[in-house]
Amino acid sequence: MYGIEAINANNGWAITAVGITIVFSGLVVLSFVIAQLHKGLDLYDNPQKIKQWFSLKKKMGKQLDKPLETGGSLLVLTEEQKEIVKQFALLVRTLEDHFSLPRLLELARISGVKNFYSNLKILLKSGILFPDKEGFFCWDQDLYIKIISH
Amino acid sequence: MASISDLLKKSTIFNSLEEIDLQRIILLFEQRELHTGDILATAGNTAQYFFILERGTLLLAMEKGKSVVQATPGDFSAMELLSDRGRYKTTITALEDGVVFSISRLAFLELIQEDTPGAAVIMQAWQGYLDQTAPFAKNIEDIDVPAIF
Repeated sequence: MYGIEAINANNGWAITAVGITIVFSGLVVLSFVIAQLHKGLDLYDNPQKIKQWFSLKKKMGKQLDKPLETGGSLLVLTEEQKEIVKQFALLVRTLEDHFSLPRLLELARISGVKNFYSNLKILLKSGILFPDKEGFFCWDQDLYIKIISH
Repeated sequence: MASISDLLKKSTIFNSLEEIDLQRIILLFEQRELHTGDILATAGNTAQYFFILERGTLLLAMEKGKSVVQATPGDFSAMELLSDRGRYKTTITALEDGVVFSISRLAFLELIQEDTPGAAVIMQAWQGYLDQTAPFAKNIEDIDVPAIF
């Protein structure tokens, strides 16, 4: 038995197809590796890029930790906390736009605001109180309304 | 001492130090627990310690109603932020429970006045830290005279 007849009889076509597939798959993988080789060589030449990549990832993680500054979800307060925040809002009205934080704390203490230390921390964490970089603090009225009505 | 070691490596002021300098400075720190409302330093008192924050939130009430809030691990309360000619000029209050590491003011000032690369690294990082956190507190005239703190 020779020729096409012999190929048909011994699964010649299937073996050919498998062989072609294996060879072409190997060539595709090889070409992909060669195509990406420059990236590996670039990292080998500039290892600081790996460090930069990790620090960027870390920075992005940190930003996610500050949802209010990045337009993320608002801090959710309990009804009791909301009442205390409202008390702080009233006290802030008596101060200037850029006010002293220790002064606000002192006013809260004198006025009998409950847990004024930890509630001041909540105001800072929420972003309602934010520093002006000159040593004073400001009140974000829009954010305050959003958080209170949330 | 793993905790202070990790903290210093996270701190923008100390994380550029060589391992040998880091190991030396680690020995100078002592851990202190904080509770809400605790006063770490009182303006007018003799300045004995500087503080690095591990956990919690600190309010640094400075002169003329100015203040800084520190809430990031590695934040350092020292020199321009805290003292002037051996006296605290700032009152530090804990706004929540936390942990700080204190370092003797004299030991720290001695360390940064040494003519070593480590001292230069700390001072350079400190100026960068001040620029970011409290530019208003920078003492431009006496920038190179750490002894005044």
